[in-house]
Amino acid sequence: MTTPPQTDNAPPAGVTRRQFLQNGLWGLAVAAVGAITGLAASRSSRSSHFWQLDPAKCVQCGRCETACVLTPSAVKAVHAYALCGYCKLCGGYHQPQAQRIDTAAENQLCPAGALIRTFIEDPFYEYTINEERCIGCAVCVKGCSQFGNGSLFLQVRHDRCVNCNECAIARVCPAGAYRRVPADHPYLLKGSPEAHA
Amino acid sequence: MNQTVLAWLIPGTAALLGAAVLAGWLAYDPAADLVVQVPGMDGEPAHAGPAAPGAAVHIGDQFRAGDGVAADLPGSWPGFRGARADNRCADPVALADRWEAGQPPILWQVKLGEGHAGAAIHRGRVYVLDYDETARRDLLRCLSLADGRELWQRGYPVDVPRNHGFSRTVPAVTDRHVVTLGPRCQVMCVDAVTGDLRWGIDLVATFGATVPMWYAGQCPLIVGDIAILAPAGPETLMMGVDCATGQIRWKTPNPQGLKMSHASIMPAVIGGVPMYVYAALGGMVGVSAEAGREGTLLWFTRDWDRSVIAPSPVIFEDGRIFVTAGYGGGGMMLQVTREGDTFRVATLQTFKANEGFASEQQTPVRIDGHLFGVLPNDAGPLRNQLVCVSPDDVRTFVWTSGRDRRFGLGPYLASDGKLYVLAADGMLTMLRATAEGYRELGQKHILDGHDAWGPMALAGGLLVLRDSTRMVCVDLRGGK
Repeated sequence: MTTPPQTDNAPPAGVTRRQFLQNGLWGLAVAAVGAITGLAASRSSRSSHFWQLDPAKCVQCGRCETACVLTPSAVKAVHAYALCGYCKLCGGYHQPQAQRIDTAAENQLCPAGALIRTFIEDPFYEYTINEERCIGCAVCVKGCSQFGNGSLFLQVRHDRCVNCNECAIARVCPAGAYRRVPADHPYLLKGSPEAHA
Repeated sequence: MNQTVLAWLIPGTAALLGAAVLAGWLAYDPAADLVVQVPGMDGEPAHAGPAAPGAAVHIGDQFRAGDGVAADLPGSWPGFRGARADNRCADPVALADRWEAGQPPILWQVKLGEGHAGAAIHRGRVYVLDYDETARRDLLRCLSLADGRELWQRGYPVDVPRNHGFSRTVPAVTDRHVVTLGPRCQVMCVDAVTGDLRWGIDLVATFGATVPMWYAGQCPLIVGDIAILAPAGPETLMMGVDCATGQIRWKTPNPQGLKMSHASIMPAVIGGVPMYVYAALGGMVGVSAEAGREGTLLWFTRDWDRSVIAPSPVIFEDGRIFVTAGYGGGGMMLQVTREGDTFRVATLQTFKANEGFASEQQTPVRIDGHLFGVLPNDAGPLRNQLVCVSPDDVRTFVWTSGRDRRFGLGPYLASDGKLYVLAADGMLTMLRATAEGYRELGQKHILDGHDAWGPMALAGGLLVLRDSTRMVCVDLRGGK
């Protein structure tokens, strides 16, 4: 095996300027692709926005209970106590025309027994939500909005929500009440500035 | 040997596993976490109900004179729903047909305790049963219709815990007397001019009345010199009290066990017989107002029985009675018919709130053979809209005010061919009182507060209205 003869005008051994530039451009391109890939990976692992339900637009249709990919739904009733009237007859707790104003199952609206009523002092009663039982059906929300102060409303609970790219509830929400909210302000609470934005 | 052990070991292990699974399946109780929902789980004491106000209430023991002077102005709105209990003002005063900028002018305003008590107007005086939140007392305030300055006030200490405000009721006024019914069912009668105390009756202590949720909403009625009240206690459903002496002239027994609602007693004449119609909790009654037979029960029906009833019955000359309620109560048209000395009651129409004409708080008004009112919160897409219906079919709307005109639970009244509707946020709307359609004439934001639910009063062209904490007088007069 023979080697080609060396001539006087052959380039010197080592890296030429052209090669240096080519290598540099390749390196930059690889670094850019890596940065984009890393950024995308970072975004996919930690989203900057969550899905949330705007209580001002909610029409209490019941789809939050049935359309969520989770069972039970990640949507739960929440309570703005500052708005609550603490009524003995609660439109969110009691059946319309309930025969008795008490805690018997037949007089309650909630199908899951998730709304807990506690006597404070006459004539005031406190209503709290048992999230383990709540199925997000919005029956209490509808009753509260019709006959009360609207202190009960729905929210996506982010300790449960899996943050689908395309929220299954948002796709079917007839009121367009779902929107993306910043992760550092993930809730649209009644009376808060975010809820009015 | 090993094959023998394996031959026993494998099926034996399978049998043991099967037995364990079977035992686990039998032992598992899928309903173990269920909680039976029964009465009393809220920790409510057995004697629950509005707590006694403590010591006996000394009705009317506090008085203070003011520097106000009764106005020399015509007109009268002497109680709930006006002089004829129809929510219409018949004063011969022309009211403005349109409002220019700055109209209608607000003549005066006064601060009130939180509540929904409306005013009565008589002989240039405005009467309102206020609640003094600082001194914890019911307070009948007599104000000048001209400038709102106080002529006098009379009241009595009674502890009323805040529950969607305090006050609820409209006084009843004659030339001589004013009768009030406080949130915890204390009745007080005073001289209409001087404020001197005539008498007081605690309907809870004396008649065992049950204070309704959110307190009493029944407005007293005075016929002649007799105050008509419905304590709806165990023994006495309704009674007539002599305004001058406080003596009880007649009583209607309560064997049906009816309870006090937020509705008021309505005077009526059905089949030529004067009577008092009352929609109580548990049923509705007609009680004779005929001289010599006062207090006699003429008819009773349980067809109209709702858990909360605030609007009062609307009675037609042919014996039809329209009743409605919020909280899922819907509406009903009844027919009361006289047959000799007896009366029969039949249900003509009954429906839910989203199926026809209904109201949550206010009593509908009749104008030229039609009913007008604001639909309740549970009326579906039409909620809180002003609507007009024919009494022949209260399930079909003649017109509605439209999605851009909703009025919450606010009051309304009629005069001079116009209807005045106060939205719960304080917006006053004037429109033609006609079945031809919603013909709006003007709007003005009168009150800045919220929950403007108290019934309005109109006398001599001056409209007295309120939100939860403020009462104002508006001049509706105009030159024609």
